[in-house]
Amino acid sequence: MKHHKIAMFLAALTLLGAVIMSLALGRYRIDLNTLARILFSVLQGDNGNMVLATPSMVLFSVRLPRVIVAVMVGASLSVSGAVFQGLFRNPLVSPSILGVTSGASFGAALAIFFAGNTAWAVGSSAFLWALIAVFLAYQIGRRGGNSVTSLVLAGVIISALFTAAVSFLKYKADPYNQLPAIVFWTMGSFNSVIWTDAVRVSSLIALGLVCIYILRWWLNPMALGDEDATTLGINVPRARFIYIFITTLIVAASVSICGNIGWVGLVVPHMARIIVGSDHDALIPFSALSGGIFMLVMDTLARVLPGGEIPVGILTSLIGAPFFAYLLITNERKGEWQN
Amino acid sequence: MNTYPLKEAERIEPALSVKNLSFGYGHRLVLQGITFSVERGIICGLLGPNASGKTTLLKCIDGVFTPKDGSVHVEGNSVSRLGRRDVAKLMAVVPQQTTVVFSFTALQMVVMGRAARLTRFRLPSMMDYHEAEAALDGLGIADLAGRFFNELSGGEKQLVLLARALFQDTHILLLDEPTSHLDFKNQFMLMDVIQDVTKKKHLATIISLHDPNLAARYCDCMVMLKSGRLYKEGLKDDVFKEDTLEQVYGIKVRVENTSHGTSVVVPEQRRDKI
Repeated sequence: MKHHKIAMFLAALTLLGAVIMSLALGRYRIDLNTLARILFSVLQGDNGNMVLATPSMVLFSVRLPRVIVAVMVGASLSVSGAVFQGLFRNPLVSPSILGVTSGASFGAALAIFFAGNTAWAVGSSAFLWALIAVFLAYQIGRRGGNSVTSLVLAGVIISALFTAAVSFLKYKADPYNQLPAIVFWTMGSFNSVIWTDAVRVSSLIALGLVCIYILRWWLNPMALGDEDATTLGINVPRARFIYIFITTLIVAASVSICGNIGWVGLVVPHMARIIVGSDHDALIPFSALSGGIFMLVMDTLARVLPGGEIPVGILTSLIGAPFFAYLLITNERKGEWQN
Repeated sequence: MNTYPLKEAERIEPALSVKNLSFGYGHRLVLQGITFSVERGIICGLLGPNASGKTTLLKCIDGVFTPKDGSVHVEGNSVSRLGRRDVAKLMAVVPQQTTVVFSFTALQMVVMGRAARLTRFRLPSMMDYHEAEAALDGLGIADLAGRFFNELSGGEKQLVLLARALFQDTHILLLDEPTSHLDFKNQFMLMDVIQDVTKKKHLATIISLHDPNLAARYCDCMVMLKSGRLYKEGLKDDVFKEDTLEQVYGIKVRVENTSHGTSVVVPEQRRDKI
């Protein structure tokens, strides 16, 4: 118990530190002194000191929304990963298992193909098609026995279908404008985040995270298996639907604003499980914090690494995959991968 | 229909009664016309060869499977009309073997027995954890609380699952071959504990067993299944007989009385024909 509290406290401190670093770092460097002065003046009600007009503009209209969205998306993806891993009783499951990301990619590609590359159209279409994809997968899985296996298989089917549809759109797309736009979208980036999107998406994610936080302990009996959960008094199909519904909403909101960002939903819950254990009581909040940290650090790296900004989705996989290999090797005997 | 024990004065309503229960997959009937009842304070053994429907019957009783026909009543409530939460307040189940993918501690496993009694949207309180510890302590395994369930021995796992079922605080306890993965000593250890808690907490315990000798030693009454039908049910001494066992298991056997006053069944030397 105490061990978890300390881990949680340290993670919260790290997140705060990461936020400050991320606000300060970038092509336009804001030193900590200036940062403190700006924040202090805002706290006093002076809305952006005129003397510091440029740094406060960079801070408030460019970096802050991006930092907020990165943290929220990181938290959303890793919490969703933790929920799905518990729900499907498999530590190798990621939030995309039910086809949410392939649906979103299709939606984005569709919008780029037909409606031009406007952020609003791409975001809404990605969000909508992500929901449609999971809805279809859920319906197929439900009719196919409503078991974990049938749901996973249905997810595989839907993912294959939408991935093929994306390929078709790519093939038909204009290779000079539309094709690169589709490709860049699927790589994932926080590059184009603006305040209105940040508020809309972050509030939806925050709402979903609060719901999952409230329901987090019930993932423990769900993770034991359908029959155990049933005899312990849980209406398994209904509980599963609720978790899938909330998770799908927040993952769809995440990918709709920043495209496909892989590995976060797989690696971070794993790492969290090694640190605080499998009890979802601690695992869910810790996954949220560490997902926020991981994503923010990756996005800051994506911004400040020499050679111009690179899509953060590349970085999360480039750094996440070896990190996962490291976890796999060093924790071989921790019991998480047994059975 | 018999009710056990046959003490007229104490009988109000049986804790559990199964009436004319049938179950099948598609057109194939797995269980047909099963009728029996169990009172509190009684261990009822469910016996029969493999594929005779023991596990299916238990799943029909706790409502995981919906019977095709017939009914299951617990203290006057029809199980099929209750929600999962209410069923879990009436009956607790000890599964045959639980493999848990994630590392939960024994204490975290036991606390899950509280799920049906928690207010919705609540998590277990410190109090619930303390009571779960007490439940482990009640079975003499308080030292296992912090250990990972996956790393426990088979006997310890079954005790933890039993503690979870008892923590569920029900009047009916269902156990599906709880001894099947246990060694010789642990089988008796677990059955002793089950017998103790049944008497102490005045439970109606239904236990499916492979080993008729374990049943003879611990059960007060028996239900014999053969190919999905009820072959015979009643008090132990009425059911545990050579001809019944021979018919149900299909081998020639001899029932012998031990010097302790219990009976054991041993197969005859030649086992190819009856």
